[in-house]
Amino acid sequence: MGIPPIDAELALAEMQARRAQVVDSNLVPNWFWGAVAALMVLFTVAIESAIPWLIGAGTIAYVLGLAAVVVALVRTARVQVRSTLLGTRGILTILGFAGVLTAIGLALGFALDAADVAFPATLAMLPVAAGMAFGGPRLMSHLRALMLSRPLAGDR
Amino acid sequence: MSRFDELIHAPTRLSLVSLLAATDWADFKFLRDSLGMSDSALSKQLTTLEEAGYLEIRKSFVGKRPRTSAQLTPEGHAAFAGHVAALQEIVARAGLAVIPDSA
Repeated sequence: MGIPPIDAELALAEMQARRAQVVDSNLVPNWFWGAVAALMVLFTVAIESAIPWLIGAGTIAYVLGLAAVVVALVRTARVQVRSTLLGTRGILTILGFAGVLTAIGLALGFALDAADVAFPATLAMLPVAAGMAFGGPRLMSHLRALMLSRPLAGDR
Repeated sequence: MSRFDELIHAPTRLSLVSLLAATDWADFKFLRDSLGMSDSALSKQLTTLEEAGYLEIRKSFVGKRPRTSAQLTPEGHAAFAGHVAALQEIVARAGLAVIPDSA
């Protein structure tokens, strides 16, 4: 192993850069969050309208739209980041993000309904959608930093 | 356990194994485009690593399109980990800054 220390350091830097390349190509793109948020709001509006044809059209649009978004993501996936890079902390962060948005939506929806406000579900969905559209990219940034901070080798 | 690995340390393979070490699997095209290599050059490097038992090549279909992907074997991950440790020892002995290795 007679290589100069500077070469060893450059090799380690290359390893880190390649990891960053993998992580960056694997993050959920920003457009995904806005698209899903918009679909959720449209679906809620359709359901809460209580107009049969609008409920039907909204449901179909939601299902097809969500399927298209997921298919677009899967078809362009060319690499799967190692699951150990995300780790328990990353998974808990994702679950926490989803849990907070769900709790906000439910609490606000029930509160508005109890107060006899018109269209409580739609109104409750607006902050949830905003949370997804603006919070999703921030979640990705956080997960990126987390994955890049992991040791270069091993599952620690 | 540190072990300098000559097979991994070759410049192109170092980049290739570093990419694979961060993945559960990687598509052939992703590796080719990321490394800026030709199909034949990448195939040659993948075969070398496969023969060493460091990686596994899988062929599957996405719809009707064939897809070739590669993933490091447990032996490949272990060799990479040993190589990282060996490089970090060299750097540490020289008193240079070591790439952070703690979560």
